[in-house]
Amino acid sequence: MRFLLKKLALYAFIAWAALTLNFLIPRLMPGDPVQVLIAASEGQLTPEAAEAIKAQFGITDDPLLVQYLAYLGDLARLDLGVSLSHFPVPVSDIISGAMPWTLGLVGVATVISFLLGTGLGVLLAWRRGTWSDHVLPALTFLNAIPYFWMALILVLLLAVTLGWFPYAGGYDRTMFPELALPFIGSVLYHAALPALTIVIGSFAGWVLQMRNMTVTVLGEDYVSMAEAKGLPRRTVLFGYAARNAILPSITGFALALGAVVGGSMLTEVIFNYPGLGYTLFQAVSAQDFPLMQGLFLIISLAVIAANLIADAAYVVLDPRTRQGA
Amino acid sequence: MSISTLIPRSGKVRAGLAIVVAFVVIAVVGPFIARYDPNQTSFDMLEPPSGRHWLGTTQTGQDVFSQFMTGARTSLLVGLVAGVVSQVVSVAVGLLGGYLRGVADDLLYILTAVFLVIPGMPLLIVLTGYLPSRGLLSIAVVIAITSWAGSARVIRAQTLSLRNREFVEAARGTGESRARIMFFEVLPNMLPLVASGFLFSVIGGILAEAGLAFLGLGSLTTTSWGSMLYFAQNSQALLSGAWWWYVPPGLAIAVVGAGLALINFAIDEYSNPRLRTGSATRPGRSGRRAAAAVAAGAEAELSGVAETLAENDSPAGPGNDETAERTAAHPEFDRADEPELAPCLRTSPMPGSPIIEVDSLRVDYPTAFGTVHAVQDVSLTLRRGEILGLAGESGSGKSTLTNAITRLLRPPAEVAGGSIVYRADDGTPTDLLRLEDQGLRALRWNEIAVVFQSAMNALNPVTSIRAQFDDVIRVHRPGLPPARRTEIAGEHLERVGIPADRIDAYPHELSGGMKQRVAIAIALVLEPDVIFMDEPTTALDLLVQRDVLDQIVRLREEYGFAIVFTTHDLALLLEISDSVAVMRRGHLVEYGPARDLYREPGHQYTKNLLSSLEELGSLA
Amino acid sequence: MTTTDTTTAPGAAAGPAVVLEGRNLVKEYPVGARSGLLRRQQRMRAVDDVSIVLAAGRVTALVGQSGSGKSTLGRMLARLIPVTAGEILLEGTEVLSAGRMSHREYVGDVQLTLQDPFASLNPLRRIEYTLGRAVRIHQDVRTAEAVHERCLALLERVGLTPAERYLDRFPHELSGGERQRVSFARALAASPKVLIADEPVSMLDVTIRKEMLDLIDALRRDEDLAVLYITHDLGSARRYSDEVMVMHHGKVVEAGESRSVIDDPQDEYTRRLLAAAPNPGARLR
Repeated sequence: MRFLLKKLALYAFIAWAALTLNFLIPRLMPGDPVQVLIAASEGQLTPEAAEAIKAQFGITDDPLLVQYLAYLGDLARLDLGVSLSHFPVPVSDIISGAMPWTLGLVGVATVISFLLGTGLGVLLAWRRGTWSDHVLPALTFLNAIPYFWMALILVLLLAVTLGWFPYAGGYDRTMFPELALPFIGSVLYHAALPALTIVIGSFAGWVLQMRNMTVTVLGEDYVSMAEAKGLPRRTVLFGYAARNAILPSITGFALALGAVVGGSMLTEVIFNYPGLGYTLFQAVSAQDFPLMQGLFLIISLAVIAANLIADAAYVVLDPRTRQGA
Repeated sequence: MSISTLIPRSGKVRAGLAIVVAFVVIAVVGPFIARYDPNQTSFDMLEPPSGRHWLGTTQTGQDVFSQFMTGARTSLLVGLVAGVVSQVVSVAVGLLGGYLRGVADDLLYILTAVFLVIPGMPLLIVLTGYLPSRGLLSIAVVIAITSWAGSARVIRAQTLSLRNREFVEAARGTGESRARIMFFEVLPNMLPLVASGFLFSVIGGILAEAGLAFLGLGSLTTTSWGSMLYFAQNSQALLSGAWWWYVPPGLAIAVVGAGLALINFAIDEYSNPRLRTGSATRPGRSGRRAAAAVAAGAEAELSGVAETLAENDSPAGPGNDETAERTAAHPEFDRADEPELAPCLRTSPMPGSPIIEVDSLRVDYPTAFGTVHAVQDVSLTLRRGEILGLAGESGSGKSTLTNAITRLLRPPAEVAGGSIVYRADDGTPTDLLRLEDQGLRALRWNEIAVVFQSAMNALNPVTSIRAQFDDVIRVHRPGLPPARRTEIAGEHLERVGIPADRIDAYPHELSGGMKQRVAIAIALVLEPDVIFMDEPTTALDLLVQRDVLDQIVRLREEYGFAIVFTTHDLALLLEISDSVAVMRRGHLVEYGPARDLYREPGHQYTKNLLSSLEELGSLA
Repeated sequence: MTTTDTTTAPGAAAGPAVVLEGRNLVKEYPVGARSGLLRRQQRMRAVDDVSIVLAAGRVTALVGQSGSGKSTLGRMLARLIPVTAGEILLEGTEVLSAGRMSHREYVGDVQLTLQDPFASLNPLRRIEYTLGRAVRIHQDVRTAEAVHERCLALLERVGLTPAERYLDRFPHELSGGERQRVSFARALAASPKVLIADEPVSMLDVTIRKEMLDLIDALRRDEDLAVLYITHDLGSARRYSDEVMVMHHGKVVEAGESRSVIDDPQDEYTRRLLAAAPNPGARLR
């Protein structure tokens, strides 16, 4: 599997780049975050917290390389430092608390949006030249709506006006988190609207890409041949056209995923959803730099992992990448 | 050249342009016509829209309309700057990497991958979180830094393909310098891509600014659509029902974004003619005038026709756009009114009963230049077991003819008249043109099979050879168990000289000659009465072509099917065919037994062809 | 001018002045997708130890199937791709050693035309631009007017008349044959001594191939050009060349005087090629 090994090496490098970027940003950005913080706290910072900030930013006068090695060492022990706003809770604890929410919400919503979008894209391509072409401008509009605004409108319509859905939180606050049906039901209920936002916000992009690719592929000789073979329409469309047209969608997954993650973060903020995005927003508002950086790192690594999965799927779908295994 | 040629014809693009122009005007003059200072507070708090405050007021009594007009400038400006910066970076990275190759490319590629995969929004948030002061410019630049990579990758890929194009090589051969080739030869040919990338980075920039501002990370002293939403959200505008506060800015972002994306439809359709929707018919424009229009416009139109024709009438060999470009710029079809010499049709003394009868068939293409008559009054009779060679140069209409018979014509091409009849073993006629889906599918491959010019891509690249045998057997011979289907497929592979154990191979694992043979084997699998072969040997080497031809002739003897063999290579046709039909500009100019045609060609065009071949030493 | 060692070069003709000579040329390509920065590459020999001599006023045909290395050899001789090993001598002077001759200087003497007339002109540039660039680079003219005059003269030389009509056209407004003529005009702008024509007619319709080959023949005669005619077609090689070299898998398998090679091939591969060509005469005559 040379293709996959190559990708693996690339992603390992990207992960390293993300780690290093995370290390460099506070050190290279103009201004000194520590001074900013201490000044901003107006003396309210406990001495312990002040110490923690210094430790976090390597206030030691060690050379950069030594600081870098210490940073990598901390990471290896999964030590992301201590949160300032929730002092003295370790950043890694906060992240592991928020992680499942985001993975569940964004993961499921992205999968639904991808399936829905590509399916509709194939359909629109097949029905090209009919009424379906008029759907395109509407989809374009949908694709350009900012997620957070879409979220606001949905909250207004479905939560505030109609009262069908709760408009904030990850579950009913009166319940105790446990692995029981009522609680799971509450979680799903609370996730519905944010998930709807993400799906509506992102599926149009998949539709447009898939439609264009399918239209292009429908002009290929192998599709004509499938038609000439007298195969049922469904087989021609899915077995031949869509099967090939989906490949660029998977290659373009990285690009799309970045947008989805960004949009989902804002969605979480609107819904006060207890995931990574909302936590990041709170960390930024509270100028909790250690938490901010920990979150950036984890989100980046998660996206990198998702890309790796997409590439693995690509290998399964396209035999040409399996050559020279 | 008049102004009207500059206005796009697509409604989508017109709408997009109108939207964008309108908002640009707002951004330019908005702050001057705003009636209040956007930050000026008053005691008219949370008032709904009224004559005094067209879009109502905020919680602190600021005028929403004034904020909206002022905010337009900020949002569009950030989008514009982010778009320009990110596009400059992606062009530099993509063009340099793609053109220079080598280590520079490797490094730039990895750099691009890093920025592509690391999610932009979190990075943006962290970066702006550290920015000491958040001016508009620094925000735009930070947005650009997180958004250039996607476009850079696309531009690199395009540069890689353009640098191998012959005009780039020719420029090097002329002695042009590297920089000149990159910026004067390669870059202009990527402008659609760059433009499209620019549009999307502007959209991305506007969205990112709005997102940041909404999180309170924008420049909060400047009013933008995003900061309006931030204050609206923070003041619980949603719960207090102040829709006039947060609906306009969000809607504006969506509308501007949609407007930019609609303009991109034009670019997409320009660079990929297959995406064009609807009919291209626009009466009242002559080909000459259109071709003489703005270079870009004309080129786009031509490539459109090219694609349409090329799809339906794949011309001789790789010069795919040749057909239509010639049709369009040198409209041979337009010269249809020039006196066409009488065709020379000789009755075929072929034995055997007719299997396909084509009578006065006409096929039309409506195009932007008027209707092209791609096939005009063609009548042919194919008999059982006959090899009919169909010859003609690029754009002669020969593939359009066979596509009409096999019902593979694609819109906008349509049969304008005539009939095509298939006769079964017992002579029962079937009108092919009137056959419904169900009946057509039953007839296909059972009786009429097609071999495409498949050294390239007639085989589905992502499934195995086995699957491509299997689906057709399963559909037409539903009772057979899987093992039997595999057995049948294996037998036919061996019959064309490919070991049966290659059945699990994928197309890319086979050489061009082998792929062609697999296509022939698949065509044989249901033992059809007729096989249409469209340039089946054109992309093959001489020696491989000879092998494949020998095989076809041998199999014909074994199975007794009839063949319609299309190619531009008259010498080859004369060698293998029983009868030959020569097409030119949609007309059948000569039709008769191969021997007669070779010994005494009747039509002047055939005579010219044969004498050219003679002089080139191809008839030796 | 140094005389060259003809014994090493098959196809060398005694008499006419040797203009361009390639000695023991080798071209290797990496095969397979490159993976990573440091991985070792497998290499494939596209051209394997080929020597060739081109003489003024003579046409040498280089015949082979796709993948035989004929186009690679042509591009090496035009110095469009680097040579892996071997030497190239232009009028007896070794040109590959560093600093001997700049690329621009070299292409002033050795010009290449390409196969696909639809791809070899920049689709966005008018003919005047394409030709004008070649004139500016290779001729000592600077004013727009002078360039314009030279362009007209070039078009007339390749038979595109009235030349005025062609200058402001875009490539897509010309037919394949006309475009190929523009390519020749561009090559002639350098007043070259050697013209390497890579498959000049294979993508043109049969009825205009002959005029194109006649044009090359006329240029060779009038300009005393040394021509390398690269083709897969043995038939036209026999009629339009003085010498022929047959390439197969990167090696020259047979070389000599055209008629004798094609009418009486000695090599097995050449024989198979000749036998494989369509031959309607045998069946229908």
